[in-house]
Amino acid sequence: MASRSIPLLTTDDSGRWEAQLRKGALEMAALASLTNGPLYGLEILRFLEQHSRLVLAEGTIYPILSRLKAEGLLTSEWIEADAGHPRKYYSLTPAGRRRLRAMAEAWFDFSRGLSNLLKPVLSKEV
Amino acid sequence: MNTAVPDPQIEQYLLSLGAHLAPMTLAEREDTLREIAAHIQDSMAESGESVATVIARLGSPEDLAPQYKEGLILRRASRSFSPLLLLRATLRYASKGVVGGLAFFLGLLGYAAAAGFVLTALMKPMFPTQTGAWVANGHLFFFGTMLYPPQPPAHDVLGWWYTPIALAIGSLFGVITTFAIRAFLRLSRGWQNRLVSDRHTALSRAI
Repeated sequence: MASRSIPLLTTDDSGRWEAQLRKGALEMAALASLTNGPLYGLEILRFLEQHSRLVLAEGTIYPILSRLKAEGLLTSEWIEADAGHPRKYYSLTPAGRRRLRAMAEAWFDFSRGLSNLLKPVLSKEV
Repeated sequence: MNTAVPDPQIEQYLLSLGAHLAPMTLAEREDTLREIAAHIQDSMAESGESVATVIARLGSPEDLAPQYKEGLILRRASRSFSPLLLLRATLRYASKGVVGGLAFFLGLLGYAAAAGFVLTALMKPMFPTQTGAWVANGHLFFFGTMLYPPQPPAHDVLGWWYTPIALAIGSLFGVITTFAIRAFLRLSRGWQNRLVSDRHTALSRAI
């Protein structure tokens, strides 16, 4: 059950493992990029590029935004811009804010534990 | 789409993406394509790069479209009443584990029972002597349609009531199965989330 969501423990193919990890993290990162107000897709991408090296193909952000919106964590609005075409701006819903907070807490717990576990791995020269 | 798309490469890309997004509703698809078109134009204006570069960074339509579909079936199914869609959604879980397989099997059984009762309800007017609920020696002997009706002491206890009663039981099976699958789908999404966070906390506690 739910093996897809626990790539850490079930996948032996490290390439796929990393892709899954990125994808999971990207959802959280997309939510996090909107904490200071609405942004459109390209702005979210640039924000993520500046603050992390998460995104591989730029297109991947859009399905994630669409899924988060379907789950009620984001809302979107088309806003007319100087560019000559409107842009789709995303913002966090109250549920999105709560989820992001819960994710951030779980993330820090998790990464602290994992860092402790992995420290000896890197300090030991192979 | 209100923005002019002057470049044949962009047009080709959007056309191909649109074709791969078939399971979406028309409105969702239009919205998605408009968003991607805006991205391409903005990205070109911002970086001064060629269409080909910007499109290459987006990823191919074949790679991008399936990412939209992910979760679409499950999401739509947990709000749907269509047996086909619901069973398809449980089938997704069936490929992932025993619980999903069991849910699919029970769902199939539930709908089969529903269809069976409804079918025999319709058979009653056509084959009145072969369809019924026969009781022998105080317990139910057979319910449904038989090629050769049972001999006495077995006797039909429902008569023409058979049709409404079989219809009611069939509908009940259908409704219960539908809501059971919907509940299962909603629960499993919750489980997935909780399972992951449980493992996280368990893991960080263990360390």
